[in-house]
Amino acid sequence: MRKFMPADELARDERFSQTTQRDRMADARTTVVLNGDQNRRSNNRLTPERNDASEAARALMHGIFVGEIQALEGAGRTCWDFTTGEEAPFALKLDMARQAWDEARHVEISCKLGDWMGAEIGQYVENTVLFEAACSNDPVLRLAGVNRALEGLAIDVFTTMKEFGEIAGDPYLEFCEDWMLADEVTHVKMGSDWLRKVTENDPERRKKALEFQNIVDKMFSYGGSRSESDESSLGIARRFRELAGFTDSEVDYVAEVSMQALNERKAQIAERQAAAAANK
Amino acid sequence: MANASKARAPFAPWDRREIAGAFSVEETARRAGHYKWTEMKLFEALGGWIATVPELDVKMRLGTHCYKHAWHAELWHKRLPELREMNPDRLTLPANDAMVRFIDAMTEPESPDQTIEKLVGVYRVLIPRFIAAYTYHMNNTSEITDMPTIRTIKFILQDEFDDLRDGEMLLQSLIDSPEEAERAAAHQARLEKIMVEAGGITGPGSIGFN
Repeated sequence: MRKFMPADELARDERFSQTTQRDRMADARTTVVLNGDQNRRSNNRLTPERNDASEAARALMHGIFVGEIQALEGAGRTCWDFTTGEEAPFALKLDMARQAWDEARHVEISCKLGDWMGAEIGQYVENTVLFEAACSNDPVLRLAGVNRALEGLAIDVFTTMKEFGEIAGDPYLEFCEDWMLADEVTHVKMGSDWLRKVTENDPERRKKALEFQNIVDKMFSYGGSRSESDESSLGIARRFRELAGFTDSEVDYVAEVSMQALNERKAQIAERQAAAAANK
Repeated sequence: MANASKARAPFAPWDRREIAGAFSVEETARRAGHYKWTEMKLFEALGGWIATVPELDVKMRLGTHCYKHAWHAELWHKRLPELREMNPDRLTLPANDAMVRFIDAMTEPESPDQTIEKLVGVYRVLIPRFIAAYTYHMNNTSEITDMPTIRTIKFILQDEFDDLRDGEMLLQSLIDSPEEAERAAAHQARLEKIMVEAGGITGPGSIGFN
């Protein structure tokens, strides 16, 4: 088995179909709705009051499910891709193996939850962006991208989903999300600790890792689907991020890039709508 | 109530543990180093394979088993300094060259249509060898001086038996034609030959026979 595996070779059964982040963002149909569009809603946050709440929750759950598969694959590849000692410390690889087990349980949980919510495996397309962030050939960059950015996003997603379960009166959903949230906080903390430890005497490498994390954070802002604005379906879970080792300024940064991504997306949509109107 | 000051035998009548054991401290450390090396190779391979298998249930099992073997490697890593080996990496070694070739051959299958080969190597060749080597060690070491090793092996063996059952059931569910049965047997025979040459996880003498 070779070292380093490209995202387009992830093995899947016949139910799955995949897309890349680039293709998804190039799709003119968008999930972000402009406030001025009164025919639709003005608040995109995932709440039970939304007319499309069930469908949106199912889609998000499926997104969580495929995201967990990729997180499982990414943690597993970190165990394999790097030589113990020379490229990655033994203890770091033990942590990644532990994370693989946690992610395997998350896949199991999200399978059960998807079924509970009425979704089927493969009902929605799988975006491979999460595994793409797990493909760096530097283990520190991989930790920054996966454990800090990706798992940080997972904290935001699970917090939103847990609140949704709570408000909707679904204790099964709330219970499961709460458990997954506990694991994700652990994974982010793991990433924060290893990043600090491995780059202790290598400021250049740390800088590079943090830059990579910022890039991934922007990618994961999903064209504005996560931000502190109600126009985004997902919020930013400040409290849990702090528990996981993010500093206030780091959380502020995530909030800022997410808002930028939302504004860029809104501008894009407005531009396309204007162009469509001009062509009528 | 019995008289508290009455002399009692240090070993109760039901405690038949013996002090004699087959292994010196050095030999125990050597074996522990080989166990750690092989458990490491196994957890790394299981982790790497997760992304290469299309079957969702197998994917999740590999993730679970990956951690168990990482934990076993950690247990041996912690045991080594207790056996006077203050640099655990020094003894974290394969038993011999044949063992290296075995791991290379076991980790060779990569493509998504080779799940059977991947599972055969682990669950029909390597894990049975682990169970044999650990059982031999547990049954032959001193039950008093080396109790920490026995305790470690008992924890590990529980996992090995559980994983063997998981892996065998996955294989039985995947092998559903005579051709696939032959594929599985051929791969098993190929790996088994290398393992025979290696003499087991700790080399010749892994289960007492040289």
